[in-house]
Amino acid sequence: MNRPPRVGIIGIGQSAFKARRDDASYPDLVREAVNLALTDSGLELDDMEAVVYSLSPDAMVGIGNAERLGVDAVGARGKRFLRINTGGATGISSVAAAYYHIASGACDVVLTAGADKVGECGDSQTVLNKIWDPIYERQLPLGTITMLAMSGVRYAEKYGMTEEDMAAVVVKNRRHAALNANAHLRRETSVDEVMSSRYIAWPIKLFDCCPQSSGGGAMVLASEKYIKDRHLDAVWITGVGHCSESYYLGDRMGHAPVADHADAHALRRSFERSYQMAGISDPARQVHVAELYAPFSNTEFHAIEAAGLTPPGKSVAPLREGRFDIGGDQPVNPSGGTLCTNAIAVTAMIRVAEIALQVSGRAGAHQVKGARVGIASGNGGDHQFFGTMVVEA
Amino acid sequence: MSLNTGMAVIGCAVEAPVTEHGRSLEELLHDAALSALADAGLGFDAVDGIVVAANDQLDGRAISIMAASGSVGGVDRDILSTPSAGEHAFVMGALRVASGQYRTQLVMAWNPTEVSSFPEAERLGADPYYHRRLPLDELSAHALQASALKAAIPQMAAAAKTLDTTLPTASGSNDIQRWPLARGAYPTPATGVAALVLASEDFIADRPDIRSAWLHGMGWATEAGFLGDRDLSDAPALDAAVERAYAEAGIADPETTIDVAEISDSTAFQQLLVMEKLGLSRRETWDADIVSGRFARNGALPVNPSGGSRIANAVFCNGLIRIAEAARQIRGSAGSAQLPAPKVALAHASSGFAMQYQTVVIFGADRKGTVK
Repeated sequence: MNRPPRVGIIGIGQSAFKARRDDASYPDLVREAVNLALTDSGLELDDMEAVVYSLSPDAMVGIGNAERLGVDAVGARGKRFLRINTGGATGISSVAAAYYHIASGACDVVLTAGADKVGECGDSQTVLNKIWDPIYERQLPLGTITMLAMSGVRYAEKYGMTEEDMAAVVVKNRRHAALNANAHLRRETSVDEVMSSRYIAWPIKLFDCCPQSSGGGAMVLASEKYIKDRHLDAVWITGVGHCSESYYLGDRMGHAPVADHADAHALRRSFERSYQMAGISDPARQVHVAELYAPFSNTEFHAIEAAGLTPPGKSVAPLREGRFDIGGDQPVNPSGGTLCTNAIAVTAMIRVAEIALQVSGRAGAHQVKGARVGIASGNGGDHQFFGTMVVEA
Repeated sequence: MSLNTGMAVIGCAVEAPVTEHGRSLEELLHDAALSALADAGLGFDAVDGIVVAANDQLDGRAISIMAASGSVGGVDRDILSTPSAGEHAFVMGALRVASGQYRTQLVMAWNPTEVSSFPEAERLGADPYYHRRLPLDELSAHALQASALKAAIPQMAAAAKTLDTTLPTASGSNDIQRWPLARGAYPTPATGVAALVLASEDFIADRPDIRSAWLHGMGWATEAGFLGDRDLSDAPALDAAVERAYAEAGIADPETTIDVAEISDSTAFQQLLVMEKLGLSRRETWDADIVSGRFARNGALPVNPSGGSRIANAVFCNGLIRIAEAARQIRGSAGSAQLPAPKVALAHASSGFAMQYQTVVIFGADRKGTVK
């Protein structure tokens, strides 16, 4: 086997995410992000050899196999094209799929792109309520909020998290998002304001929840040879991993669970794979910045732990002490994260994009000083599919 | 550009049509995964990663691939999903093996038939403003393409009729189902599942007894999404896919090089266009080639010896089934459809309205091809 080529990120495009984008159709949003990524890379649409389309549930845009209608938005006519969907992890899985196009030797330069109009889909939870098995678990009723509320209850019981601790995550991420022009929820908040917001599914309150965002994301990846031949600026994907849990939530509860629903077992395993590939043995010391997919405040704790930034159950105190703030030792979600912006099809792609911006020193007002090694993650399905990535300058 | 490492299909399982209805979808997937692994002489512990493909509208789940976690051995493993097409799962699996990060991939796609109405589920795939009210479903898209081909190619109508009479499900009906397609020309959807095991050359080198269908070439491409933007009498995405697959496999003269082909055959009109684009038959000789039995199992260039989608129209996984059947021919495991020792097999898959997505895969009995 020939040595796989190094794969670099050479172009990034993301919308300024909002609750609605009445000015743009779904394909328009995809094209908006593609144009931004191409401009960032200095390349043209004709330069792209293949396209990986990033789209999670069809029902979110109300069109079956909606990627077919996005073909022209990504300039893919006559080109190699396929779509990836791993639920909320779709965006990072799409970046991974683009990575494999290049690491395999099949392509030198690949575009991955997508968009979502979650804010305009009617009600995303109505769609997401239909991800569960129709016989056994759909009627409970399970939604993505109740699913992770149960995780929060279990985490609180196991490790001692309080609702005020959850609110501290929201306060941190909103403070970060206020610095990020592309974030959806940019108004700062307080622990008191979070605590006084209404319950959605105990212990999760309205302010503990991510918004429903509309916008697009796109990235251009290229082989090291392509990058060097053209003297392009790049940051490098040095670790890629995925791991899955069981489908049935009942398998993560009760007396003999496959995995404890308090933790993110498969996310941890995915990070282990990415770290092994990147040669990272001590993430708490070697990682400078993290963008971790956490759509509800409580889930940021077990994401931090699964990433190995703290031992299991030990992330609450350092978060409250500011270790994960911009300016802290190891900033987590300096963009504001999923808690402040969630256009599901590209949310996990934006995690990678933000880390790429951080390690290239281009993150603007939310830049983490001196960041050279970053990590990103995405969660999909019923907290089931996990993708992770290490990006280095 | 070709791939960084050699690889082969080392295990296949196809169940289509599924005739025993006592199993859940997950049991069906589990059986297929086990069967493909058993065909390779392996167990789940040999699976490095999984790529699956399914369709949300047909499965009745908002993220249909979720059901695959436990049933195909995905717990604690790495799963990706390509809901664009069943055959795209194969493409992604091959790219993952070639990346060097994995030595094996389990690749699966399925097509359940519990949906109350296939046309209604398919109509959701049309854009809601211009096409959904036509109504546009798979059959009407096939019919639109057939009418465009009929108008553009003088030899098409007669050759399609001749080809239809040679197929196992020929109805002989003159009734029109959707003009110009005769009743019975588009078979009723069937439940189906396909599973393949892909392995890198170094994995195979450690297991000399494994029967391998080596990947020699692979091309895939797409047309535009709106039918109004396309000339349905042509298939430029197929041209792109064929060019890449043949270049990687070093095929200059497909008529003499390819021993057997498994191609998408949703309608005879499409099959004839595809055979011409693949260089297996020219329009001037379509009728004579069909009548002479050139494409029959005992002909000079057998096409769809498995019976093709006419005997099992497993809509969403027809493409992966074609790939599995071509690999089976090379591995000598095609059962009653097996030809005597073919050396080069071609698989063609198309998906989407009027063959929007086109994929061509070349397998060989030896290891050459694709590797740089």
